[in-house]
Amino acid sequence: MVNYPEIDKYSSLDSPMHRFDPRAKIVAFIILIFAVVLVPNLKLAFIALIGAILFLIASKLPLRFALQHIKWVFLFVVPFIIIMPFTVSGTEIFNFHGLTMTYEGLEYGILVAVRALSAVILVLPMIATTRFDVTIKALGELKMPNMLVQMFMFTYRYIFVFVVEFQRTWRAMAARGFQLKTNLYALKTIGRALGMLFVRSYERGDRVYQALRARGYTAKPKTLVEFKMRASDYVWTVVIIGFAVSLLIVSFA
Amino acid sequence: MNQEAITVKNLSYKYPDGTKALEDVNMEVYEGERIVLVGPNGAGKTTFMLHLNGTLRGSEGQIEIFGKNLEKMKREEIVKEVGMVFQDPDDQLFMPTIFDDIAFGPINLGLKEDEVRERVEKTILSLGLSGYEDKSPHHLSFGEKKKASLAAVMAMEPRILVLDEPTANLDPRSRAELIGIINELNEREGITMVIVTHDVNAIPELADRIYALNRTMIGTGTPRDIFFNGALLKQNKLDVPDVFKLFEVLRAFGLNCEKLPLSLDEAVSGLAKIIETEGGHIHLHIHEHTHDEIGEWRSKYEHH
Ligand SMILES: Nc1ncnc2c1ncn2[C@@H]1O[C@H](COP(=O)(O)OP(=O)(O)O)[C@@H](O)[C@H]1O
Ligand SMILES: [Mg+2]
Repeated sequence: MVNYPEIDKYSSLDSPMHRFDPRAKIVAFIILIFAVVLVPNLKLAFIALIGAILFLIASKLPLRFALQHIKWVFLFVVPFIIIMPFTVSGTEIFNFHGLTMTYEGLEYGILVAVRALSAVILVLPMIATTRFDVTIKALGELKMPNMLVQMFMFTYRYIFVFVVEFQRTWRAMAARGFQLKTNLYALKTIGRALGMLFVRSYERGDRVYQALRARGYTAKPKTLVEFKMRASDYVWTVVIIGFAVSLLIVSFA
Repeated sequence: MNQEAITVKNLSYKYPDGTKALEDVNMEVYEGERIVLVGPNGAGKTTFMLHLNGTLRGSEGQIEIFGKNLEKMKREEIVKEVGMVFQDPDDQLFMPTIFDDIAFGPINLGLKEDEVRERVEKTILSLGLSGYEDKSPHHLSFGEKKKASLAAVMAMEPRILVLDEPTANLDPRSRAELIGIINELNEREGITMVIVTHDVNAIPELADRIYALNRTMIGTGTPRDIFFNGALLKQNKLDVPDVFKLFEVLRAFGLNCEKLPLSLDEAVSGLAKIIETEGGHIHLHIHEHTHDEIGEWRSKYEHH
């Protein structure tokens, strides 16, 4: 079997976040994420981080799974923590061959990192606790333009087909002794393989369109959805948005 | 005779790059018939199929579906009459879950929500897909995907079903199951079938009548008519069922067999009959012509 990188691998667990209505969940968490990336100081950033971690705990997602997704963000954030302290001017902490590290810079670097970390942690209870197709449908229910919803839907479906095709091509190349090296030959070969993949995807696109038409596709497909807000959904919505609003009030009051 | 379900007259088609895929193709299919379309690779089978629901439109010729000119039918009307199961289920299962996929067609037909749900449920039950509703296609085996794509088409309740190589790449069990499902749909619901296949061993089970295509229709008849037409088979690189070949060999070894069987079932009843008439046993031996006959037999199936 193929190992798919699935964000909704643990969507069948049971937790308050899993039971939370997908529409309300998306709206509430998006508001909270905005609030979190806007906090102006470290103290509030850490409060936001603690909040995010609490929501993650409430979602009962396995820690390993969570860390797997969070670690990518670190690759983006680490440069900030390293560069910021040297580029922002202010109180000097130390001087190294003309490079000055400042207190303000360090604080700003950490602030950026903590905000990003909190935001990414919040994405997990928002997205990883619902089957992805349900999330897409929820976006449709939230009046996202039909065109975008369709694009998400087909992309979600065919990304897996593409992954399999890519792996197949890659294995076929490896089976004939191809090794990834940084020489012209390897680059050319990869270029050609990607070209083939592209052509094949294009042809598949043609066939999928034929199949769509064969079942009466008219560019405005609907899906059947059953969403219903219950009391607990309202409670969670109020809690999450309330937390967001509090952060904003304290930040800018 | 039943009503005509499909009539194709003088159909020709050329791809934009100049490939003449079809030339002067004719076909008549009656309601409730099971037609198998055979032909070597590149014979134009898929191209022909795509004409039957108006996906491709021939430069010449005419197609009628239940007496109505396809050119004059509305898209919804065609889609309701002619269901098409494509060869690669990944082309056909485009929704995130099996439920959504099966519901896709009925929704497009403009059915109400509870009718759609009813149809989906019914189709899922009749094809044995219970429990797969919320699964994504990428979590299904090839055989399951194939069944799901058939279900997605069946949910639209078409009167004609066109299938492109339905048994290709299936393991023996899924293959037998799918053949069973196709025949059951034909028997129970009277659905007219046009089946493109390379699977010669499945033909006796699937075909009331065969059409042989090689850019143009080169022959039609019962499986027996076609499989006994050596010249046609050889010219067009067509194969015959293994059972048939085996009994040709047995005949060279002196088996007194008048009617060569096409399927295992026929073989069993045929053998039983021979044993009965020969007094409780069958008799095989090597006689003076055996080697010549085997040689002839070999050359008949060598397509060089
Ligand atoms: N999109 C296309 N453009 C040009 N030529 C095509 C296209 N699709 C098929 N053909 C050509 O048309 C002929 C018939 O193809 P096809 O209908 O796929 O045959 P079959 O299904 O019997 O194997 C072949 O020669 C094939 O190369
Ligand atoms: Mg084909």
